[in-house]
Amino acid sequence: MTLIRRIPLTRRTVLRGLGGLALGLPLLDAMRGSPAHAGGSEHPKRFIVMYTPNGTIAKNFWPTSVLSETEFQLSPILTPLAKHKDDLLIIGGVDMLSAMAPNLDGKSPGDAHQKGTGGCLTATELLPGNFIGGGGQTAGWAGGISVDQAIANHIGQNTPYKSVELGVAVQGANVGGRISYRGPGQPLPPENSPYAAYQRLFGDSLGDPLEVEQRIARRHSVLDVVAEDYKRLRDRLGGEDREKLHNHLLGIDAIRDRLDKAVVKFDGVCQPLDLGPALDVNKIENMPIIGGLQMDLLAMAFACDLTRVATLMWTNSTSSAVLSFIDPAIKDGHHALAHKGDEETVKVHHNTLINTWYASQLGALIDRLKAIPEGDGTVFDNTVILWTNEQARGNNHDRHDLPYVLAGGVDSVFNTGRYVEFPGDTGHNRLLVSLLNAMDIDATEFGNPIYGTGPLSGLT
Amino acid sequence: MPVSRITTIGLAVLLLLLACSLGSGELGTHSAQGDGDGDGEVKSPPEPGPTPIRRLTRVEYNNTVYQLFGDNSQPANAFPPDEEAGGFDNQADVLVVSPLLAEHYLVAAETLAATHTPTLVQELVNCQGLPVDQASCGSDANEFIRSFGKRVFRRPLTDEEVQTYVSLFTEGAALDQAPFSATMGIQLVVQALLQSSNFIYRVEFGMAEPVDGDVVALTHYEIASRLSYLLWNSMPDAILFDAADAGQLGDPAEIEAQARRMLATPRAREAVRNFHRQWLQLDAIEPLILASGKDPGLYPDFYDGLPLLWRSETEAFIDHAVFEADANVELLFTAPYTMMNQELANFYGVDGPGGVEFTRVDLDPGKYAGFLTQPGLLALFAKPDRSSPIHRGKFVRETILCQVPPPPPDNVPEPPSVDTTQTTREQFAEHSENPVCAGCHSLMDPIGFGFEHFDGIGRYRETEWGLEIDATGQLNGTDIDGAFNGVIELAQLLASSDQVKNCVVSQWFRFGYGRIETEQDECSVDEIRAAFAASNYDIKELIVALTQTDAFRYRHAVQENSP
Repeated sequence: MTLIRRIPLTRRTVLRGLGGLALGLPLLDAMRGSPAHAGGSEHPKRFIVMYTPNGTIAKNFWPTSVLSETEFQLSPILTPLAKHKDDLLIIGGVDMLSAMAPNLDGKSPGDAHQKGTGGCLTATELLPGNFIGGGGQTAGWAGGISVDQAIANHIGQNTPYKSVELGVAVQGANVGGRISYRGPGQPLPPENSPYAAYQRLFGDSLGDPLEVEQRIARRHSVLDVVAEDYKRLRDRLGGEDREKLHNHLLGIDAIRDRLDKAVVKFDGVCQPLDLGPALDVNKIENMPIIGGLQMDLLAMAFACDLTRVATLMWTNSTSSAVLSFIDPAIKDGHHALAHKGDEETVKVHHNTLINTWYASQLGALIDRLKAIPEGDGTVFDNTVILWTNEQARGNNHDRHDLPYVLAGGVDSVFNTGRYVEFPGDTGHNRLLVSLLNAMDIDATEFGNPIYGTGPLSGLT
Repeated sequence: MPVSRITTIGLAVLLLLLACSLGSGELGTHSAQGDGDGDGEVKSPPEPGPTPIRRLTRVEYNNTVYQLFGDNSQPANAFPPDEEAGGFDNQADVLVVSPLLAEHYLVAAETLAATHTPTLVQELVNCQGLPVDQASCGSDANEFIRSFGKRVFRRPLTDEEVQTYVSLFTEGAALDQAPFSATMGIQLVVQALLQSSNFIYRVEFGMAEPVDGDVVALTHYEIASRLSYLLWNSMPDAILFDAADAGQLGDPAEIEAQARRMLATPRAREAVRNFHRQWLQLDAIEPLILASGKDPGLYPDFYDGLPLLWRSETEAFIDHAVFEADANVELLFTAPYTMMNQELANFYGVDGPGGVEFTRVDLDPGKYAGFLTQPGLLALFAKPDRSSPIHRGKFVRETILCQVPPPPPDNVPEPPSVDTTQTTREQFAEHSENPVCAGCHSLMDPIGFGFEHFDGIGRYRETEWGLEIDATGQLNGTDIDGAFNGVIELAQLLASSDQVKNCVVSQWFRFGYGRIETEQDECSVDEIRAAFAASNYDIKELIVALTQTDAFRYRHAVQENSP
């Protein structure tokens, strides 16, 4: 990434800058802020990606009666987001160009779903490998770091968890089931179980204080030995084996780093959660409840400042889950439904219902974040959420015009309440650059820059 | 991300035999290394191919902790699923450890240590009772670390490693409520051992001295682990440890003898089951059929308990064929019998055994042949309301013949609705009439039509909607090209195919070695094929042959990097 002189300004920053203590200092410098509390607000910036697969139904997704950027009607799919309309930035005309490159000389392997999923947050080509895609095409993992991890490297350093990856019924331990990458070929799997995720995030803090303290001391002793073990072996190995051990060691180091700081003081809005009786997380009919719990957990992780970056995957690319809990008339798997032609009106209707339900889940996530007070506002004020898909349309795998929705609070840099459209061949790399900039990362490019550089204009 | 080349060792490999020197030229014996008497045999240097470090899969982790502790809690079931590639869950290239998995290792190690330390610590006699003499208790701990640690690392610990864990014992013993707790010391040692890279990975450095260039023979302990994870998907047993201690795993004959011993145990049957579950996609039968369901109007006899029975049937059939009938691979295709219990016999509509155990039942050889006519796979490769010649043909083409049809177009039109005036075959006639479809579908549909006597839940039917069934088909692009009528003839053709046998070898290679074969493996692959052929395609002999190759016994020396 290249450094450029770019300091984002939010509406609130400008107001505070003008009226506050910044007088006498060069205006922009005074508002630079520390990485942890960037953007001039005293509250941390936060970032979430929500992923849903298999494309949308374009005619039922994009706004209608568009008179101007701010005057338009929400389509059926986005109607559940009506009460948050002022916080949304609906972005049309952005293409996932990096996922459309033909596989010349084996440089862009993978089928449409694989490329779309591996590339949605990395904006670069997949690695070659042996994951079997449609029609015998094969691919490996994504070929670069994902935008959430690039952001986590910047704003996640001071929290116990740099980022949290959650999933709802994500199946398939392959490139179609992963969106987050620490780097090329280093996927981060989502945790499908809110019960396991709760133990992971809050378990260290549960129990009586002496017990908690002793547990930490013992873990230090054990993990010191374990980390030394991995270092020794890593340093003896070469090539990809060395890389593999090194990445494993990073995971161990992350646990060690947070042993002391991960103990949550439950206080105020940060409280233990009651997840209720345990349900089978693999059962599709439980998705609404499991998904709700994952979002509860995510909101509480923000409230307790355990993390500031999260991804939430709803199922996976080519998911065959039959989402009949949305409507009992839905009998086909999601992927099969998405492949139906435009003339299949009943199937198109079912697919619309599915995407509408996912929109309502985005609404529920925003609701949760708005419900957590922070300063004189809420946690949502400092949060940016990107809703992404791995393609635009399921029946032809089109990756033009991706159905992007950004949700941003008042302290985010984004100028929300709008529907903006970009002209042809605008690579989604640029959207990811905009997100980096919004998190105070000075970047002009992300992923493979041949698909576009610089942020999208007019989002802020 | 390691980059594997997919070498299609399918059709064009015969000339490679030229590149391999097969000892005294006795194809089909396991003595490809020569008879050792140095009577002038030409032996090219070993070529082991790539050897990426292998991480334990969830299955291997569970089996290994069962061996270590007698613990059958299967803690790895809570881990994130193993990354799958090439149809298998044990491919070294893609098995990585994310921070999430590292945490699961921590939690599993803590839980296992807490559960089993009370038992383990009883071995430390000088650590019992009060007061404890810390010096003699420490010396017991030292002994424990050497013996238990050896089983965890699958090799003896170095003195330096022992010292590390002894120090951890001492440190841990002071981290309990009591001033000195041997139990806590051992607990922390067990936690650390179970998170060690030497436990989670199969670490191999080989012998110090190369045999040729950078090729080294594996140590006897490394061979013990290769054998146990190949044949049992688990850690070595006491006999393998003893053999490694005695240096008796260097010679191909010694390795072969161990492989034959191990194959005769129930754990080998479980590993062979694991292979077929993945290769033939048997593990998809339950989740996929239950997710999409079957149309109750068309198939009133279907119920949710059937897919489990179907998978069990095919697993029991293969297990019986391999281990009871000493079958060659051809029998898997042609056997005129299957395995049933009472409930499944009700589904078949035959007089079967009583009870829940699966036993052999002979079937009408004019209708049934081997696993290809068993309902699980036929129902899996079917739609909720009809058979699917396309998916059945694709399965044969991809899984049995190891060939990959080109991709389908992006916008596949909706297939015609079920029509009681036409057979399924007639409804898919457009695939051959429309040139846009025909190119690819001619690779799949004409094979799949052979299965048309089996409906969407894999049951034999004489007619469809009262219409006559045309089950004639055609194989093309294979070594058994030609017309056939019905699945019985198709099965005979497949059973006679060298391409099918080579495909089976490729699949076992991938599962057995945790990687896709490469150009450097040509000699290893040829040796396996030769041994397989010499045994008249006995599946157990194929597995034994996997333990005799350069790929199994050697590796390239680790390129050590200085820190």
